[in-house]
Amino acid sequence: MQPRDRQALLKLFAAYYETADFRIPGLEQREFGIGNIRKIEARHLNFPNLQSFRGYLTNNTPFFVSHSTAYYEFPGATPIQKKAWKGADLVFDLDIHAEGKYGPYALLGQVKADLQRLVKDFIINDFGCRDVLVAFSGNRGYHVHVRDKAFLPLGGEERRELVDYVMGNGLNYRDFFSYSDKKQLLGPRPDEGGYRGRFARAAMELINSKPTAVSRVFSKEKERGFFLGGVRQGNWSKTSLKFDDLVGRLSPLAATLPVGSVNTDAGVTQDLSKLIRVPNSIHGETGLIAKIIEPGEVDRFEPLRDALVRSSERMKVRFVEGVPSLELGGETVGPFKTGDEKELPRPVAVFFVAKESATLL
Amino acid sequence: MDEGLDFAVKYPFSDSARKSLGDIQLTERIVELAVERIRKAVRGDDSARVVFHESDKREEIASFAAARMILGHLRNSYLTNRFAINESKIVRGRINKEDERTVDAVAAQFGIASAVENGMMLLDLPTYLRYSVRDPHYKLINRKLFSGRVEINAEEKKRLVEEAVKKHIERIPTVKDPPDIIKNAGKQLVAEIPKTEVRMTVKAGDHPPCVMRLLESLKNHENLPHHARWFLAAYTLAIGMGEDDIVKLFAGAPDFSEKITRYQVSHIKKKGYSVPSCATVMSYGLCCAVCRIGSPINWHTLEKGRKDAINAEADNAAKG
Repeated sequence: MQPRDRQALLKLFAAYYETADFRIPGLEQREFGIGNIRKIEARHLNFPNLQSFRGYLTNNTPFFVSHSTAYYEFPGATPIQKKAWKGADLVFDLDIHAEGKYGPYALLGQVKADLQRLVKDFIINDFGCRDVLVAFSGNRGYHVHVRDKAFLPLGGEERRELVDYVMGNGLNYRDFFSYSDKKQLLGPRPDEGGYRGRFARAAMELINSKPTAVSRVFSKEKERGFFLGGVRQGNWSKTSLKFDDLVGRLSPLAATLPVGSVNTDAGVTQDLSKLIRVPNSIHGETGLIAKIIEPGEVDRFEPLRDALVRSSERMKVRFVEGVPSLELGGETVGPFKTGDEKELPRPVAVFFVAKESATLL
Repeated sequence: MDEGLDFAVKYPFSDSARKSLGDIQLTERIVELAVERIRKAVRGDDSARVVFHESDKREEIASFAAARMILGHLRNSYLTNRFAINESKIVRGRINKEDERTVDAVAAQFGIASAVENGMMLLDLPTYLRYSVRDPHYKLINRKLFSGRVEINAEEKKRLVEEAVKKHIERIPTVKDPPDIIKNAGKQLVAEIPKTEVRMTVKAGDHPPCVMRLLESLKNHENLPHHARWFLAAYTLAIGMGEDDIVKLFAGAPDFSEKITRYQVSHIKKKGYSVPSCATVMSYGLCCAVCRIGSPINWHTLEKGRKDAINAEADNAAKG
């Protein structure tokens, strides 16, 4: 990135930070990390209060700012063993991997669907967590921060267990089924907790809405009703299908139950000293806000519309590479070719400059 | 709550035990009992000692505290792990004979508080995660979960208590400068540690990260869950290691028994069990890297550069 572009972006970021809405419980117990080229170039920073943190961001504005999920007795101490770990938020990182610089943005809708299931079905319904904060990551995914006191002391192995659970690692739905003495096929009931109940409910819904997706025999209402009546009681035998055949036909359904886009490669959830982007800070690679999404707003949230730093000003840029057309700031922009010179709304211009696809004129 | 002296003798980690000690002085007799308590653990003798007189009972309780002092001073992972396993087994034997109220009183020492609702015994999820063992049966994915609570049965509750006792003892606080009788007792115990030479002539990269981690654990005398041992045995057989060498590998386990190990290794060999796939290893909770090789055995077909890259990435993830 040109030094001139860099300076201009930092000035805009600094102005945003003067009034940014931060919600960082236990701020003084957290370690902070900042970076300009890479995401974390300096860590072990700590701040006594929000005011001093804000002061730092407006005076020494970085491209990236992260805080520890952990709470420490001495957040600034090094090495890490001397910090005296006291607990950590339980975090989940959902993201999408796609080809090309602009590939992921078209797929953010899929991640959002996973996000909603993760929060509602898993984190709230199954795990019973309270105090859950959801934020856009600022680029190609979402972060979920669980700050429920009961979960803060969990160790890495225990968090790994929760990741395995949401990802469905080790899930074998065939184990849900067994035979009774009377050779009946016994299976999960819709009112059961965990994957068993989820599987039964999903199967019932599928058979009700698209019976032929499982088998033609369920297109007859009588046969369908008879079967589903049994399933409600955990008896999956009330069908003319062979039992093995029935269970086999439900295999594609089992594959839809876990949340696929939770990022486990980097070990985000089980890492007890992880630094994660500060919610409502700016992601320097996009100029987008890692925006906090209020409960109930996830449905309506569109990152490329709602996570821009608002401004009515316009800026002139020259594109240094081709860019496909995108939904950005509530309108369709582009495509642009190398050498195109355009006057764009400031948030849109910032996005392309931060992506290093354009340079300011 | 004070459950009385007999409860305190049986469960010497309890609040009642701490209270019953009062300002008891450390005596040679108590340290002697403590040393014997640790020796029993090294022998794997999990029979419970029975005492009748009130003063004996107090000494018995104090011997547990003194044993912890010795171990906290020594910081010897072999002795600590043997002690933790043995004491938790003794406790398990005891609670198996108790009524439910007493089991709950022991469980309460570790914050394990189950509640019965609609005929189901429920335990809160964080506590369940803390004390459930790494075993497919206890894997969350196979459990019934109801908004933050896991259904368990009475037998499983006892298993969780056993694990809680073990974890409690493993986390012994360091004792910096203990009285001389504790130091001397420690010296004596260290001298008695059976000299089992653990054959560990493996280099990083010889085996996939999941196997390396298990070998490392054995070297540190950590206790491996059943499935981890099974996996390691099947794997080492598959790469052509001899039975004798495999048995020696397990000598580092804190509850090592040559007879049982030999029997199990040769059983796996006789049955010709194949090495579990990566997916299965993952379901055991033992996968710790992203190799994308389908089966741990395929590690040996990888080029060196690829192995190094996987190891570097796994190291990074571990360090954060």
